[in-house]
Amino acid sequence: MMVGRPDKATPASTRQPVLTGALEDYLESIYLLEREHGFARVRDIARARGVKAGSVTPALKRLDEAGLVEYAQREYVKLTDQGNRAARRVLARHDLLKRFFEEVLQMEPGAAEREACAMEHSLSPQGMDGLVRFFEFLSICPEGLRGWLEKFHACAAVQSDGGSCDSSCSCYGDGERRRVPSIRLVDIEPGRAARVLQVDARGAVRQRLLDMGLLPGVEVRVERLAPGGDPIWIGLKGSQLALRSSEASAVMVEG
Amino acid sequence: MKALSAKTAPAPVRVALLGNPNCGKTTIFNALTGARQKVGNYPGVTVERRQGTCYQGEHCLELVDLPGTYSLTSYSPEEKITQEQVLAGGFDVVVVVVDSTMLGRSLVLLAQAMMVGVPLVLCLNMADEARQAGQQLDLRRMSSLLGMPVVETVGHRGQGIEQLRRAIVAQRTGGEHGHGLVLGRSLREALAAVSARLENLPQLYRGQRAWFALKLLLDEPRFVSLAGELGLQGARDEAARQRAALEVATGMDIGLYVTECFFGFVDGLLREVTLRPARADARSLSDRVDTVLAHRLLGLPIFGAVMFAIFWVTFTAGEIPMGWIEDGFTALGRWLGGLWPAGSESLLRSLLVDGVIGGVGGVVVFLPNILLLFLGLALLEDTGYLARAAFLMDRLMHRFGLHGKSFLPLLVGFGCSLPGIMATRTLENERDRLTTMLVLPLMSCGARLPVWLLLIPAFFPAAWQAPLLWLIYSVGIVLALGLAWLLRRTLFRGAEAPFVMELPPYRLPTLRAVTMKMAERCWLYLRKAGTMILAISILMWFITSYPKPDSEQLRSLPPAGSAAAAGQLERHQAADRLRHSLAGRLGTALEPVFAPLGFDWKLNTALIGAFAAKEVFVAQLGIVYSLGGVDEESPDLRQALRRDYTPLQALALMLFLLIGTPCMATFAITRRESGSIKWALLQLGGLTALAWLVALLVFQGGRLLGLG
Repeated sequence: MMVGRPDKATPASTRQPVLTGALEDYLESIYLLEREHGFARVRDIARARGVKAGSVTPALKRLDEAGLVEYAQREYVKLTDQGNRAARRVLARHDLLKRFFEEVLQMEPGAAEREACAMEHSLSPQGMDGLVRFFEFLSICPEGLRGWLEKFHACAAVQSDGGSCDSSCSCYGDGERRRVPSIRLVDIEPGRAARVLQVDARGAVRQRLLDMGLLPGVEVRVERLAPGGDPIWIGLKGSQLALRSSEASAVMVEG
Repeated sequence: MKALSAKTAPAPVRVALLGNPNCGKTTIFNALTGARQKVGNYPGVTVERRQGTCYQGEHCLELVDLPGTYSLTSYSPEEKITQEQVLAGGFDVVVVVVDSTMLGRSLVLLAQAMMVGVPLVLCLNMADEARQAGQQLDLRRMSSLLGMPVVETVGHRGQGIEQLRRAIVAQRTGGEHGHGLVLGRSLREALAAVSARLENLPQLYRGQRAWFALKLLLDEPRFVSLAGELGLQGARDEAARQRAALEVATGMDIGLYVTECFFGFVDGLLREVTLRPARADARSLSDRVDTVLAHRLLGLPIFGAVMFAIFWVTFTAGEIPMGWIEDGFTALGRWLGGLWPAGSESLLRSLLVDGVIGGVGGVVVFLPNILLLFLGLALLEDTGYLARAAFLMDRLMHRFGLHGKSFLPLLVGFGCSLPGIMATRTLENERDRLTTMLVLPLMSCGARLPVWLLLIPAFFPAAWQAPLLWLIYSVGIVLALGLAWLLRRTLFRGAEAPFVMELPPYRLPTLRAVTMKMAERCWLYLRKAGTMILAISILMWFITSYPKPDSEQLRSLPPAGSAAAAGQLERHQAADRLRHSLAGRLGTALEPVFAPLGFDWKLNTALIGAFAAKEVFVAQLGIVYSLGGVDEESPDLRQALRRDYTPLQALALMLFLLIGTPCMATFAITRRESGSIKWALLQLGGLTALAWLVALLVFQGGRLLGLG
């Protein structure tokens, strides 16, 4: 697939050579072979790509021209430093896309792999960069999310059952139950931790729980129970609280 | 020079301390003011008001310690008062005290205070603990981001207090006021839209437009109705529109969204100023201790043992100084009595010796017990163990509408109701506090023990004695819990206060904090003894001594008088005098009321004495029966009682004494601690009515069964 065609709207802001998807795949294969065996032979590359050895040569030539591999029409191919970096970037990108399909869109690993392969070359560098930054944000900044990913999953689950998200899965509002694997904080076993999904209480109780930092997205741990199982003792970031089970049943956490 | 500066002394700076419960706010307050403070109540409510003054150079700081609160809303009485005070208290500077080990949560209150638009000072208390946990903050940056002075303190060691005082004065005398509260754009715009319609806010709330707008946006009933009254329907409707728009846009209800915004601001702030975060395992020692002390099975037995130890120390170690005080008062009485010639009937002498010294001495004598008990309680509170005890006991107490922390005052009530009622201060919620206070006299206190020890052996066979004593105590407990249950369903009905109790890490109490707490409570106790109790003692003395009978009305000496007969006569005369006195007459007049319970005038008169102090009942009965110098071990008195009354009457009497007429000191302290005489009157009247009813049922029921 030819993707690397010059994009007029965006001047090449990076000094990276623009590679076609096929060349990127070659780069990837060479990198993996080198990592596995310490070297990469044309034969092996052809086998890994599922092509004839003859078709490998032009690709290698072009990679050589771009200064990414050292190839002198012999058996062994070697990545240059620049090539090594480029290959790693390609791989990381692939990995990131695969995780996006797996973790955010919740696809099977095999399907996620196929989608990632198909997608990684078809995006413009700009689109790819945006996606990378976004996904990096998702993975390094969990407290910035405060549960919307969970809400999205809940909605997706309802939609796949044939329902409509806004009618059957209102992600807010006190009265409506959501169809996510959520359980009441009071049902968590002592010693287990879970992330808060929502606080169903009203009025003073709700305000107090929120003031104490029991916000959606916050991780709480049930430390222990009092004699008779009530109240419960929970730990959250930086503080420890006792809640009566009546209050703790208003707090829904991930199941 | 001095005189000159006194003339131009600046107006006092009015300062309020605002902070979460357990943030060490009161410790800071104490460190700032030292002994120059006054503890009282806010008018009409059971919320403590602490005031004090201190000096910084020529500036006099007038400080108010506001009730501890987690946010500025108006759900609980504490929050209501705090919000009202911050808004309309006319403070020049508000010091927000936060626990440095819990900044992520406690700074949210600061963020709210920043909306109000008063000059602020941020006090990062417990800085030593935070440092030990490895936390490092860039204070200068924090101060410039927030636009207010930031001072680190260690309240209980007095560290940073000087700087805090200086910062307060600086903030007052033209400090920077540009508060750097950064909220999300959507919230900011919504608030601006609402505030734009608050042009006509009256003087009282001038400068608090942002706060008013926030509260309207949050749909807080108090502000919504206030807006209605002030003719600000436009702002109210705008707030409703903005609220709906925000809720749709964010997918959150407004309360959650605004709270998230505040938490978001705090998160951002902390990210900017944290040079090194605290280690994650900073609490591990405390947590390890809790695996034992708060254990599901071990916790309660350990708590029982701790309480037993405290009681044991209180009553055994307290004996010794109690003896000294008793001796001291006796000696004082004798010395005072000796100032008059022997046999004098001086009114002043009788007033001083029998009324004042007898009455006040009887209360002051418990001071060592109170001191020791409060030492124990202060240690429990300051180490943080009290919160664990409340955690362990809450299930049981909650069944009866009480709070886990109510347990402790009730337990203390077995020793004496006074410290028990004073210990209800550990309860943060007003309703919990009042309920606990009102039912507390049902715990059979130490002063009632002599009464049980007199009556039970007088009327019941040995095998029944221990079970009966147990029964009396149990009836008290059951009734207290039942009444609490009833109160919570009648008088104190309404939405239950949330039980979300913080469990602070264990801390080593400091000598300074503990002694301060003890001194404060002892002073309260002594002051009570010196004022209200003194007055009631004099009243009791008066009604038991006046009017005096004429000499003809007294039995006269038989012709052949032996020394023994003379003694007998003197005692008879004492009995006659008592019968003739107001108390005796009152006792006689009360006969129709108490006859259905099986009480005659003698018991009634003794009961009036029991209002002074429960143990006085025994002495009064002694006088009525003309038996001088009785105590609960007197066989003569027991015999006399057995002759006049049946065991059924005795049981009714004991129940009446257990339930009814809390003593005058209890009345006085309830009035003081509840902040209103109506609660004290309710307690007195309600318990006495209940006592009457229970005694009636027992006596009449027993008679029907043929027991009488």
